[in-house]
Amino acid sequence: MTSQSITTPALAPVAVRSSERLIAAALAAFLGLGLVFMAGFSPASALHNAAHDFRHTQNFPCH
Amino acid sequence: MILRLLSAALAAGFLAAVVTTGLELTLTSPLIIAAEAYETQGTQRAAQASPAGLPIVPAHDVHARVVQARIVQVHAGHDHGAPSAAPAWQPGEGLPRMAFTGLATLVGAVGYALLLGAVMLACGRTPTPETGLAFAVAGFASVALAPGLGLPPELPGSAAAPLAARQAWWVMTAAPTGMGLYLIGVRRSLIAILGGLVLIVVPHVAGAPQPPAETSELPAALAAQFAARSLAVSFVFWALIGLGLGWAWQGFSARGREAARA
Repeated sequence: MTSQSITTPALAPVAVRSSERLIAAALAAFLGLGLVFMAGFSPASALHNAAHDFRHTQNFPCH
Repeated sequence: MILRLLSAALAAGFLAAVVTTGLELTLTSPLIIAAEAYETQGTQRAAQASPAGLPIVPAHDVHARVVQARIVQVHAGHDHGAPSAAPAWQPGEGLPRMAFTGLATLVGAVGYALLLGAVMLACGRTPTPETGLAFAVAGFASVALAPGLGLPPELPGSAAAPLAARQAWWVMTAAPTGMGLYLIGVRRSLIAILGGLVLIVVPHVAGAPQPPAETSELPAALAAQFAARSLAVSFVFWALIGLGLGWAWQGFSARGREAARA
């Protein structure tokens, strides 16, 4: 009895939180991939030259 | 939640970048600069050897000539002292170069921190220093250790396969390794573990694109030292991203809740 009255109201916030969680995760993944691409993979030569030593040290394929 | 994740990733990235930049400048950048001296020598000799930019190699077989030409080609458009290359922008030696290394480290660290946070939330794990560190070790294994098995961290001037092939293999190794570690560490059923092991092993069975032949003039000791230091710096980088994300996520909890309500 008591356990039911505790779990039922808890369900809705959990569902809301989990969808919010996924949206946050998707947004962060998108931003993160963009930043990592810029620092590690972008073929633009100015970006390559600026990030050169970082790319070598972090084992991104370089040159 | 979104603001909390973004601010925690920024803080973790900043922490990791500050320490890692220091390590890069003291441990790996000096080796890169030392290696560039060899690379410049090689490129200049190649350029002097023939006006077309193709080196005349003292080898008697055509294969070696093709290999040499390909190495020059790999470095074409790169500016390590290639006299005929178009003058692409690059940071000046000394302080500007260090500053841009730091900036690139910051961008990469924040990017990886965001990815780490995204993966943790998608797996339903709340970032704490402990879980952050565990996921960060998996991140290190996916993007530094596993690709490094096939493509060891290399110095400028080492012989290497074409860039696009190496980048493709890098991505095709890092992504399945991460997925495999997820199956093994988070899913944990027998089938998931077997599938995870297969995902981790397959890229190495397929094999990384290999350099045409060992033609580099770099001393092997320099390259070996660089590979070891690079992996060590990478590990510290990832460990700090994970720990920092956990600390910052916990620290931003109050503020995050307020922001979510506003």
